[in-house]
Amino acid sequence: MKKYLPIWLIGLGATLAVIVIPVLIFWPKREPVRDNPQAHVLPTAIHTSHADIIQGPFNSPQEVTRNCLTCHVDTAAQVMKTTHWTWESQPFDVPWRDAPITIGKINQINNFCIGAQGNQKDCASCHPGYGWEEHAAYDFSNPENVDCLICHADTALYAKGDYGDPVEEVDLTAAAQSVHMPARENCGKCHFDGGGGNGVKHGDLDQSLIFPSAQLDVHMGEHDFQCTSCHTTEDHQILGRLIADNYSVNPEEQVACTNCHSTTLHKDERINTHVNAVACQTCHIPAMAVKNPTKVQWDWTTAGQDRLDDHYTFLKIKGSFVYEKNFRPDYTWFNGNLSYRYLLGDKIDPSQPTLINQPAGSIVDSQARIFPFKIHIARQPYDSINNHLLSPITAGEDGFWTHYDWDQAFRLAEPITGVEYSGHYGFTETHMYWPTTHMVQPKENALQCTDCHAAQGRLDWIALGYPGDPMEWGGRFASK
Amino acid sequence: MKPKPLFMLSVLIITGIALTARPVFARLTANPPAQDLLQHPVFELLDTDGENVLNGSRPVSTMKTCGQCHDTAFITSHSVHVDLGQRGVAPPGQWNPLIYRYALPDDAAGANLSVEKWVEANAARMVGGGPAEAAGLEMDCFVCHLSNPNIAARTEALQQGKFTWANTASLVGTGLVEKSGESYTWIKPAFSEDGKLLPQFAGIQDPANENCAPCHGAVQYSQEPLVLTGCDLSQWQTATTGQVISPARIASSGMNLANKDSLTRSFDIHAERGLKCTDCHYSLNNPTYPQAANSPAFLKLDPRRLSISDYLQKPDHNLARSPNFQNENDAGLTSALQNCESCHDPKAAHAWLPYLDRHLDELACESCHAPRLYAPAVQSGDRTVLIHAEQSLKDVSTTNICRGVEGNGESLSDLVTGFAPVLLPREQMEGGAALAPYNLIATWYWVAGSPPSPISLEDLQTVWFEKGQISPEILSVLDTNKNGLLDENELRLDTTVKQMAVAGRLSKLGLENPHIVGEIRPYRINHNIIGRGWAVKDCKACHSDSSLITQPMKLASYLPGGVAPQFVSDNGAITNGDIYTENGALYYRPATRAQKIYVFGHDRVPWVDWAGALFFIGVLLAVSVHGGLRYFMVLRVSRVKPEYKKVYMYSVYERFWHWLQTFVITLLLFTGLIIHRPDMFGVFSFRYVVVVHNILAALLVINAAFSLFYHLVSGNIRQFLPHPYGFFDEAIVQARYYLQGIFKGREHPFEKIPEKKLNPLQQVTYLGILNVLLPLQIITGAMMWGVQQWPQIESWFGGLPFLAPFHSLVAWIFGAFIVAHVYLATTGPRPLTFIKAMIMGWEDVEIHETAPSKDEKVPSQPISPELKAGPVAE
Repeated sequence: MKKYLPIWLIGLGATLAVIVIPVLIFWPKREPVRDNPQAHVLPTAIHTSHADIIQGPFNSPQEVTRNCLTCHVDTAAQVMKTTHWTWESQPFDVPWRDAPITIGKINQINNFCIGAQGNQKDCASCHPGYGWEEHAAYDFSNPENVDCLICHADTALYAKGDYGDPVEEVDLTAAAQSVHMPARENCGKCHFDGGGGNGVKHGDLDQSLIFPSAQLDVHMGEHDFQCTSCHTTEDHQILGRLIADNYSVNPEEQVACTNCHSTTLHKDERINTHVNAVACQTCHIPAMAVKNPTKVQWDWTTAGQDRLDDHYTFLKIKGSFVYEKNFRPDYTWFNGNLSYRYLLGDKIDPSQPTLINQPAGSIVDSQARIFPFKIHIARQPYDSINNHLLSPITAGEDGFWTHYDWDQAFRLAEPITGVEYSGHYGFTETHMYWPTTHMVQPKENALQCTDCHAAQGRLDWIALGYPGDPMEWGGRFASK
Repeated sequence: MKPKPLFMLSVLIITGIALTARPVFARLTANPPAQDLLQHPVFELLDTDGENVLNGSRPVSTMKTCGQCHDTAFITSHSVHVDLGQRGVAPPGQWNPLIYRYALPDDAAGANLSVEKWVEANAARMVGGGPAEAAGLEMDCFVCHLSNPNIAARTEALQQGKFTWANTASLVGTGLVEKSGESYTWIKPAFSEDGKLLPQFAGIQDPANENCAPCHGAVQYSQEPLVLTGCDLSQWQTATTGQVISPARIASSGMNLANKDSLTRSFDIHAERGLKCTDCHYSLNNPTYPQAANSPAFLKLDPRRLSISDYLQKPDHNLARSPNFQNENDAGLTSALQNCESCHDPKAAHAWLPYLDRHLDELACESCHAPRLYAPAVQSGDRTVLIHAEQSLKDVSTTNICRGVEGNGESLSDLVTGFAPVLLPREQMEGGAALAPYNLIATWYWVAGSPPSPISLEDLQTVWFEKGQISPEILSVLDTNKNGLLDENELRLDTTVKQMAVAGRLSKLGLENPHIVGEIRPYRINHNIIGRGWAVKDCKACHSDSSLITQPMKLASYLPGGVAPQFVSDNGAITNGDIYTENGALYYRPATRAQKIYVFGHDRVPWVDWAGALFFIGVLLAVSVHGGLRYFMVLRVSRVKPEYKKVYMYSVYERFWHWLQTFVITLLLFTGLIIHRPDMFGVFSFRYVVVVHNILAALLVINAAFSLFYHLVSGNIRQFLPHPYGFFDEAIVQARYYLQGIFKGREHPFEKIPEKKLNPLQQVTYLGILNVLLPLQIITGAMMWGVQQWPQIESWFGGLPFLAPFHSLVAWIFGAFIVAHVYLATTGPRPLTFIKAMIMGWEDVEIHETAPSKDEKVPSQPISPELKAGPVAE
């Protein structure tokens, strides 16, 4: 019997093959998977608890850093190369200046608290270093000044105060023992609270993202992403930056939706054709500051007035504000860079609003997409003789926040910023664009056709450069 | 292609303007002004004498005002709106029990209305013109062509009988006219010095969806969440069909909807995609749109169009619409017909759908693309009873029972469940009928006279009430709990006694033979279409016992007067299903079989299955009994082991052919059973099983064809052909063997040799199977498969309703044959001998003394004296 076995097996195989092969050939084709974003998300490394590794006590934060460096030898050197540490970009050329310039918190201004120069007492609490004082030259090359804990310690056990030093109450040993991979709270300490409070600067980053719901942010809420899930890090260089403190951005440094998502993932081909002209964020972030309000207007002219303080409308040290919550962004063309960034000393036209930063891109720029922004509008001080914006000294014993004396604040700043002060100042309107890219909501909440393609739609087609609604007049590349 | 310089230049200029115009941002400024690229010119408002209204204090005349440029006489002469869609219907128009009146005015007796009363009764939906002109109400252009007409003020004016002022009332609130007390005053600053409107007040436009809404149904475009309570007939289309025109997601509505969170689709995909009502329901001579009218078939496009100016002078106010729309006499308006295919190519969009033509022939697009409505709609209305003494026509129309909502739907907190429409065959534009969704509304009302006509509301009130109270005579009959009040359950004429009480009082009024009649009207659902992501795509939604196509729809929870309602259908719906009662409630179940629709997995012919199954089980029982007897009488008894020789019985090809057919037929029976009864085999995907069944069928046919060729060419075909001479004798011998000899352990009467493998019974069996059953199964199967390729051919044979049950019946017989075949295969010298031979080719054949030779290749002599060896192929 045994010698026949292969023969009937072959016969069986052949018979079944005759059946199976046609079935496989004619089997209905499944729709190909359009998008598999999870495949691009790096696995999170399992962190070793340092509770038993780190022995105290530590008398100074520098001792903690020294302790870290005994094992993580290169890390301080890595951090010191990052803009997190230097607060300054590489030098580059801009069309309106002869010499290469750098841009960063270290030397430029915004239209919130205006400038960090000379205000290190307060501002350096978001610098990942220790002991940066305004009057002494700061040693940016001292590795012991690197603050490992701000990014790695449990935020419940660690906090920074004046000049970037830890506040007195901090138990450095306990904080050091709590180190872990940076969580949303760590990044959020500066990025949620930038500008002096929760949600002040970014319309799309605030403390609601510490425990976000899926409806608020599908990545961090539904999928529990940490910041570093997308802002991946190599040698402490953290991927992803947008334009607030920059002029141009290398695309390779960017975090983009398309790092993980396909550009043709929509089942409706009509939506996919939008991708050439509309950024993902435009439809998928229908509203900013969904839970916590964000500041949209800041009027410095009322600062110093003796009125009752109210966090959302008036503070004596800062002036009047307008906060908004769950509101639609503003939209303009954006190719990832700026077409202008105000640099200290640049002349302004005080009769016109000054754009601190202006997104680059237009309808004829094939790289540009219609992108959502929060526009922060301020009235901030300028030199009414020299017609340039002024950066006051606000923090510290002699600063504006102590004496409410603008003149003194500008005079003190002059030697530090190098910006000439004539003795005459006024207030002018400035605008600043803040790209909206977090708080991506579930797809069910995305914008629908009529949000834009309707008489009272979100987009002002004429201002964007279209002859009319492109649903009727055609898209921008239709003539090609 | 080179970029066009002019275009590039304009883009640059526009971009330049846009850049210098910055930074002016939307949030700081108000909303950008609406971009009116072509604004309506300014004009004078004229009164009926053609005088500027500012020169006196007379109402505006739309005919004179708009008639300055547009041919208003032409417009009113034919617009379907002036006579509420009743063009061509003789007065008093159609009877509509939902609103308890005729559609058109007529001063004759009964339930008919004078023109004045007609206008008042229809005030909220009265455009004017047509019959209303007799009451001094001109057609109101503002209602449709102004962005914000004041419908409320207009309705109020009509209800107060101020017919000539009603069109002026439409302008209250626009800044042109104000109402002071009972009179209207023109606001001078809205006019320029030459008496014309200032440009901002001359906002005449194409009708927006909001213009259609006040008469036609719920339209919601604002950011406000949509809220609907009950099934208020003032939103006619929504109330009768549950249709809501809104781009908003259902989940964002303000209604208390079941499973609301998961309903992230919009109410209507066309609204979502920015279409307006007028995009489909356009003016028929608008030169922008296809002008298919009367074009010969060879012309794709007739380029001869009206000029824009001609069109603006005489715009056709017949609007394009779907065929057979509600209550309309369609004759002569075929050019107006619009359906899904006017814009969509369903074939291009459904490449994934098997049997595409078949599905598209039998199903209207809406069946899968409007499977559920998420708003309450009217289910039934009982007009045989009255609630208040002062019940007006409007009040009568509010006493309806809603479907799609729990409770009476009056409160916002009532749970809205939505409802699935019933699928009725609908006559198609191109002929034939396809299943399409409808809402069914049942109504009951009193009629009297001969021919019977509805009795008037006044008569009904006289009968029901005495001095403002329900007549004691009626109350005593209806008030079953004797508390002096009638609650919801008591206010029903659900017994003969109650009915007679009212009928008697009606007779006393002089009405002849008063009795209750009931009617059911199907209301078609064409809107609230959903996109492909949400449409019905699961095969088992229809191909299962709980198929959508025969889902019953509840008509009413009781029958007033016990009267079974009759269908009234004037909109193409074919109502050949069953009306039946269950627990006192009335239902309608569509009968698709009557429509010659046979849906696999849903439709079955019971007797075919019973007969087939009985035959199958009978064969199974027979072989079991036979096998059992054999086992006890022969196999258990040890015999002297005979000697065997090995004979090469089956060639490789014969074995391959046999086993391939074995697998294929077995799998065909199994997959066929799944297709026949998908509910029993829930784990299998209906779609994939159908694919496998078809592939297997193709294999079976190919295998059979090759095998026939082989047997013909090799001459082995003769083995299957009974030799006529002595055939019956031999067959009887063989039959006696199976019935007797086999139990005694006798030898087979005919020795099996390679050249003659089949005994006479096998020969005749195979002759039947191969010549009758197999071809029948192949032909019926192929025709079922080809039902979409050659529908005409199928129809000659009765279509699927005949072919499919036939196919099932033959399948049962095949199944029974397999049982018998496998059992008989065990009747060899040893139970597995034949089966082994069919696997290996070599068969153990017992050596008999009569055998002349032991050479395997030489045929053995027959052992039975009766056998005359047939011709043997060499």
